[in-house]
Amino acid sequence: MSDSRMINTQTISVQEADFNVQTLYESLCVPHKTGAVAMFVGRVRDFSENPEQSSFVLEHYPGMTERNIEKIVAQAQQRWTLLGVKVVHRVGELGVDDQIVFVGVASAHRAEAFAACDFIMDYLKSRAAFWKKEITPKASNWVEAKQSDEDSLQRW
Amino acid sequence: MPSINVVFFASLRETLKSDGVSVELEQPLTVFELKQKLAQQLDQPVLLEDTVKTAIDYDFARDTDIIDIETVHEVAFFPPVTGG
Repeated sequence: MSDSRMINTQTISVQEADFNVQTLYESLCVPHKTGAVAMFVGRVRDFSENPEQSSFVLEHYPGMTERNIEKIVAQAQQRWTLLGVKVVHRVGELGVDDQIVFVGVASAHRAEAFAACDFIMDYLKSRAAFWKKEITPKASNWVEAKQSDEDSLQRW
Repeated sequence: MPSINVVFFASLRETLKSDGVSVELEQPLTVFELKQKLAQQLDQPVLLEDTVKTAIDYDFARDTDIIDIETVHEVAFFPPVTGG
């Protein structure tokens, strides 16, 4: 096993703070080796009539969430030859247009990077302990899981 | 008597109005048996609904999985996850 297959705590972060895509991109690149970097950013869309007054609260299960993501990343690293993986998922209160999640994958060639990024994001949706609650001036509602997200795992 | 922590998250925590409880167990039991025991103790039949998911010590678990009271520290119940 090469060093790139090892998972360390720097690979995964569950945090309240925002993240900087450029910084994450630079941290993914291995000099002379990285030929492809695929990145995904999930953002908060407007889900009500009052985007200025609407927000999300993202809850997680400290300990379990990190473990879920570590397992997903380890599966991706077994499946594809990857040079680096970064996953950042925010928790706490987020407003419309805020960034929620970053998944970045570095590899020698694009096919591995695209596939692994897609795989990690699919599993994050259905196999990591996060729960979203929508808050508007009128009501607050827990977001319901979508069957289409679960069905999407069949692709792998 | 060995005891385990049972914790609740998201909408389930709000419905139960509780972050969690400590449960004393005499012998190993399945996830479903623990749900039944708690549903009765807390008078909360919501715990028996299909949508209630489970983790044993941070790993997703099924209703038929056995909870080993000697080694298990924490069982969590929660609704389907909605991250990403």
